[in-house]
Amino acid sequence: MSTRILVVEDNPANLELMTYLLHSFGYVALTAQDGLAGLELARTDAPDLIVCDVQLPGLDGFGVARELKLDPTLRTVPLVAVTAYAMVGDRDRMLAAGFDGYISKPIAPDRFVPELESFLPRSGDAHLGSHPFLRSRGLQRRVQ
Amino acid sequence: MLYSTVAEEVPAVGDVQDVSSLGGAGNEQARLLEQTKIAESKFRGLLESAPDATVIVNHAGRIELVNRQTELLFGYSRDELIGAPIEVLLPDRFRGFHAGHRTRYQSEPRTRPMGVGLELYGLRKDCSEFPVEISLSPMQAEGGMLVTSAIRDISERKRFEQRLQEKNEELENAIRAKDRFLASMSHELRTPLNAIIGFTGTLLMQLPGPLTREQDHQLHTIQTSARHLLSLINDLLDLARIESGKVELNLESVEAQDVLTELASTLCPLAEDKGLEFVVLTPAHPISVMTDRRALSQILLNLAGNAIKFTNTGGVTVRVSRRRRNGHVSTAFDVVDTGVGIHPEDQQKLFQAFSQIRTTPDREQEGTGLGLHLSERLAHLIGGAIACRSGPGKGSTFTLTLQT
Repeated sequence: MSTRILVVEDNPANLELMTYLLHSFGYVALTAQDGLAGLELARTDAPDLIVCDVQLPGLDGFGVARELKLDPTLRTVPLVAVTAYAMVGDRDRMLAAGFDGYISKPIAPDRFVPELESFLPRSGDAHLGSHPFLRSRGLQRRVQ
Repeated sequence: MLYSTVAEEVPAVGDVQDVSSLGGAGNEQARLLEQTKIAESKFRGLLESAPDATVIVNHAGRIELVNRQTELLFGYSRDELIGAPIEVLLPDRFRGFHAGHRTRYQSEPRTRPMGVGLELYGLRKDCSEFPVEISLSPMQAEGGMLVTSAIRDISERKRFEQRLQEKNEELENAIRAKDRFLASMSHELRTPLNAIIGFTGTLLMQLPGPLTREQDHQLHTIQTSARHLLSLINDLLDLARIESGKVELNLESVEAQDVLTELASTLCPLAEDKGLEFVVLTPAHPISVMTDRRALSQILLNLAGNAIKFTNTGGVTVRVSRRRRNGHVSTAFDVVDTGVGIHPEDQQKLFQAFSQIRTTPDREQEGTGLGLHLSERLAHLIGGAIACRSGPGKGSTFTLTLQT
């Protein structure tokens, strides 16, 4: 079964960017556009990793982190903040709030997925290898 | 001691003793009386010219004497006050305590301010109140101890304090608003840049499909411009943080070698892309400096990045050395390039914001125009300075000197 990554992001363009990159690297992306929907999906679909924006309508990323880390089954799922809060101290603020990782926007598209992969437990060949350009060529063949 | 004789020169002050009680009219006595009168008159003049209301109270708490200021301040005439209990000048709520304090003062008389740390108020004849500051001093007289109170109206000062406090609050609010504005501006600008830089990247990675050479070239232009915009945002935010004193310095012992090695690993690829040599010279003995590592790295990254940017042939050398002058030891980081150099008249503008010097008319402006300005501000923050030696066609040497 492919590794499934939940992406919680309200900005449509940025959601599209992240899901596109994840698909390109051979992952299944689950998406939610606000914190509550993200939590709901995390509970019903048990993703392998959660990527979460911080400024979200309704329940924000801090709230999502708090809820996830209180949940005995979800607390072990790696949770990575991908946020445009990129000023001094923001990283520490996110990590203190319960996020396991922090990636600031704008993301580097060629490094984004490998960075996320470093939070995944090593699980053999659940997905394609870790060479984006090999994979991208594979994808191109499929596209063509 | 107050005598009715002085009352002819100045308005009456009440409770007086009979001059005749001093005894017969011998020459000696007349002289003494004369001297006393002079002393009295001096004392009276002093009292009347004092800026504070002065009230003299006897052991029973009744007013013996007041000056002109007292009349002006409280709105009573002297006649009304003389003989009245001092408490008439106090708001009702203080009167009870005051009698007790008065008794205690008499058992321990000394010159001191009254009610330290308390807000004291006076009460005018028209029942209005005003804030006061009072100092007390005991005075031995025939018939018991008198207490002199100098009473100062501090309404004006209170108003200033109040206004100052309000201004301070406004200022703090403004600073908080500015910080919030900066944080949200940073967030809002990054959000669309994420999609621009991100999708340009996916196209350049050829994830959606192969690119023609033109497409590749144009996408690289978008990427460069977007990154330029991002560094502008970062530089502006850094500058705003420095301006608002928000930069937290973390002074630690930093190995110069480590910083230079890190610098080389970041900049070597850039130099190689332009066919330049990038050399880092470290001394045989390790040099460590007490400084903020992040600020030091940022300054050197900026200076060396500029050197690469403005050099087309040759290379860039970064070296560190200890210097001794008049017993002071300093650490100097030199960034030496073989680039286009800078005209002397341009060198003065170097460190101003947005004063990027155009080297050749057709040259693309690559920097933000904030780099050197920011570096200089950072250098000042860590107690250092940046100097430049250059001439057109002769390359440039930028030196960061740290007093350590």
